Amino acid sequence: MGVATATLVDSVKDRGWRHFDLQLLLYVLLLIAVGVVMGYSAAFNTEAGATAGMSQTVKTVIWATIGLTLFFVASSVDYHWLRTLAAPIYLVVLGLLTLTMLIGTNLFGAQMSVTVAGLDFQFSEVSKVLMIAVLAAYLAGRRERIGRLGTILVAGALMALPTFLVFRQPDLGTALVFVGILVGMLFLSGASLGWMGLFAAAAIGAAPIAVGMLHDYQRQRLFCFLDPYADPQGACYQLVQALNAVGSGGWLGRGLTVGGEGQRGYIPVQSTDFIFTVVAEDLGFVGGTIVLTLFGLLVWRILLIGWQAQDAFGMMIAVGLASMIVFQTSVNVGMVIGIMPVTGIPLPFVTYGGSSLISLLFGMGILQSIRMRSHKPTL
Amino acid sequence: MADLNDGRLDLRRSRGRFLAFAVITVLILAALGGRMFQLQVLGGEDYARRAAADRTVEVPIAAPRGLVFDRQGRPVAVNTPSWTVKIRPADLPEHERRRVLARIARLTDVPASLIDGRLSAFQGSPFDLVPVLRGVDREAALIIGEESESLPGVVVEVDAVREYLDEAGAPNGELLAHILGYTGPISREELGARQAGDYLRDDVIGKSGIEASFEAELRGIPGARLMERDASGRLLEVIETIRDPVPGDNLMLTIDADVQRLAETALTWGMDVAGVSQSVIIVMNPQTGEILAMVSLPAYDNNLFARGISIDDFSIYLADPDRPLRNHAIADIYPPGSTYKLVTGIAALEEGVTTASRKWPTYGCYQIPGAPEGECLFDWNRQGFGPLDMVDAFAKSSDTFFYQMAIGTGIDPLAEWAHELGFGARSGIRLPGEEPGIIASTEWARQQGRSGVFTGELAQAGIGQNVIAVTPLQVLNAYAAVANGGDLMRPMVVRGETDAAGQLVREYAPERIHAIDADPSTLQTMRIGAREVITSGHAYNIRDLELPGALSGKTGTAEFGELTEEGTLPFHSWFVAYLPSSAGATDAELAVLSFNYSAVVPGNVSAEVVKYFLQLHYDLDQDLRLDPNDFSLVTAN
Repeated sequence: MGVATATLVDSVKDRGWRHFDLQLLLYVLLLIAVGVVMGYSAAFNTEAGATAGMSQTVKTVIWATIGLTLFFVASSVDYHWLRTLAAPIYLVVLGLLTLTMLIGTNLFGAQMSVTVAGLDFQFSEVSKVLMIAVLAAYLAGRRERIGRLGTILVAGALMALPTFLVFRQPDLGTALVFVGILVGMLFLSGASLGWMGLFAAAAIGAAPIAVGMLHDYQRQRLFCFLDPYADPQGACYQLVQALNAVGSGGWLGRGLTVGGEGQRGYIPVQSTDFIFTVVAEDLGFVGGTIVLTLFGLLVWRILLIGWQAQDAFGMMIAVGLASMIVFQTSVNVGMVIGIMPVTGIPLPFVTYGGSSLISLLFGMGILQSIRMRSHKPTL
Repeated sequence: MADLNDGRLDLRRSRGRFLAFAVITVLILAALGGRMFQLQVLGGEDYARRAAADRTVEVPIAAPRGLVFDRQGRPVAVNTPSWTVKIRPADLPEHERRRVLARIARLTDVPASLIDGRLSAFQGSPFDLVPVLRGVDREAALIIGEESESLPGVVVEVDAVREYLDEAGAPNGELLAHILGYTGPISREELGARQAGDYLRDDVIGKSGIEASFEAELRGIPGARLMERDASGRLLEVIETIRDPVPGDNLMLTIDADVQRLAETALTWGMDVAGVSQSVIIVMNPQTGEILAMVSLPAYDNNLFARGISIDDFSIYLADPDRPLRNHAIADIYPPGSTYKLVTGIAALEEGVTTASRKWPTYGCYQIPGAPEGECLFDWNRQGFGPLDMVDAFAKSSDTFFYQMAIGTGIDPLAEWAHELGFGARSGIRLPGEEPGIIASTEWARQQGRSGVFTGELAQAGIGQNVIAVTPLQVLNAYAAVANGGDLMRPMVVRGETDAAGQLVREYAPERIHAIDADPSTLQTMRIGAREVITSGHAYNIRDLELPGALSGKTGTAEFGELTEEGTLPFHSWFVAYLPSSAGATDAELAVLSFNYSAVVPGNVSAEVVKYFLQLHYDLDQDLRLDPNDFSLVTAN
């Protein structure tokens, strides 16, 4: 057991820092760098030109600095404070999401962020990390009762409230990420596969009802991936342009900042959800594969930290973060290359956005904290 | 790896599930990589080609709209540059929208809500340019252009808009508004009614007048060029011109803007002195059917429409009870009164009711056959004129004479002769909105659920009252047909088309609708009668005009409505005249009609208007105009 009150100075002297996972930090930094370079490249040829690209880069660097500070603070502090505070954290998440729903500013028709001191902060991003801690606290406490039906029901109920709140914003993407996190954590916690299978079957059966609850524009975008060329100018415009951009990348890509000659300029919101089209067009198949490999390595490190965590709470946090990253990466990249429905899910670390980046770095800091306090820090 | 579950009270961690999770992750990433391989390496060329195709776009080049010239070759409808503010919604960020629209509104002095409304109403792609303000003044356009850095999505372009000119080349559209009409942005309904691709969403189309009826000739054929677009759909540069636009054909009107101005001057004077608010004057060549002037007052300013009329201005026109937007010469129908005695006279002569020389008694009040004793119809002087033949009866305009003619002819033969003279059907003049009119007949009565027309109605039909409604153009055209010896001509406003180089590409020859199937002597009798109207009838001093010919014509009034404070009925006044070289000759090349709606002064305003027009047109030294308030009109039937 670490000491919750350990200060940074104290903990530097602690042998724990020798077990700091440099690989994890390296992959994260590389992915952030990819985001910065691609964001710059994407903005390079927009109306405001390189200036906008630069200001976006500067912002990302500022956010990364804030995020990394948070990362080191979280690393140095024993992660168990999250378990102690699980219940208040849950209430804070619900409160923040309700607040967002009530007073959030309007971004492309959806209430998704609250402006605090001029900075748009999307609470749904940080709430993903916090909900992982809340679920981890609950699941870790189930111990030998983990296999019972109640585990799934209570965990599902815990997750249902925030999911509903973000769905109503409406932010379908984040709602889906919550579900992905829930499924991943239940699976790795050892919950009953039989019951999970049954719920999965029920969910598939209920899918048409859920689709019916969607807004028209969400539904149209959702089904574009089945036949994007059915409505290339309308709802599927983004996807068609994305496919063209990815396709024109070839083996090695067209190079950075190709801009006016490039295709990706036709993609609205390209530095956010569709950032991977820029990777694919500028850096080609090779570049895209490298980015995917970075994600693979990152998930491997996270799973390793989870496996070696000194307790189930740490393990569950790790697998929650792994689930989140795997889910977001596969849905985001899958969407861009036309094998997943179009939903607003950011690509972890790469998509431009302060809330997402800071929240993720905070999560990675918790992982380091787990790693440094693991039972057996080596393989 | 050691079993880390050893000695734990905690959850057991399952190696199998961790492995499964890792395997699933690897499989997903591999699937993503495989799909990228398929897109980028296998299908790369295909997508690159498709991407290239998306970078270019075919942009239409508007064809210059054909110009319109009057009879003497003066331009009366031209194209002038106009600044249009357009917005590309995709380039206008939502949070900037309010500020940007407010800035434009302030610079152009229009409400921001108007711009916002037009932008919101647009339903095309967000990458299209939406014209939100047309006819922006030059200074505002330049400022908006200079501020483009801070007005994202806003573009100022120069478009050609119509400008309508008067006879002096000044932009006074009212002179020819009802002939030329105007152009405006195509409506969704108009766009839907046309073949896809012929018109663009923000295209311009003729809305009224010959702008509408000659739309196909004036429009030309739009060209197209291939343009490169940049990232956000903005057009960068022309790659190639695919088709050059073919300018629309120019039109040469039959209208003479000078004659139009004189006619308008005469009519405006008459309306002023008699307090009339709705009037028409038409001048035509009876030999060809060419309209030399056609004025319907009040008129409207078609330049307001061409520049994009404001809702306020448009509402004023719509609310005006005198309906300035309508061409009263063709689009409205009125009882023709005594001018219709031409029809009754020809019908009676042709149907054998009377002969040219047979005299009929006339009455102060004519007892309708079959009606109860005392139910009679007055002659207009309430005392009769003694026995009259056709020529005298026409000259004196005896109502009781023509009651007898109508009753002798019968309603259906009378209606047939009306049709023969062009009533009850559109003349086919190529102007939009022409009305056919109403001619009483047995069929007409049946449509109203009656078995036939009452005898009283038949008598009224004989003097153009009550059950007869015609357009002013129909009256003029019927007299023109008699004047030219029996050819009912199709009235025309355009006599030729030239291409952009000025070469005549098409000539509109005069067209005869049909020859009037009447004996030449019948028409001769009516022409003599029409001459007598001027010389011995009650057209007053118009006979004293020193005109180069023997002016012939007919007056008419038609009472309607309710008694005024002075105890008289308001009435329409008519005067139609033509100018042959001698009495009865068929060589007239000028026919004039004036119609004034709802006069309450005693004189025939229309006769005064025509008189004044003739003075002006023939540049006479005489001025024989009378004040219609000063002489008794009931006598001017």
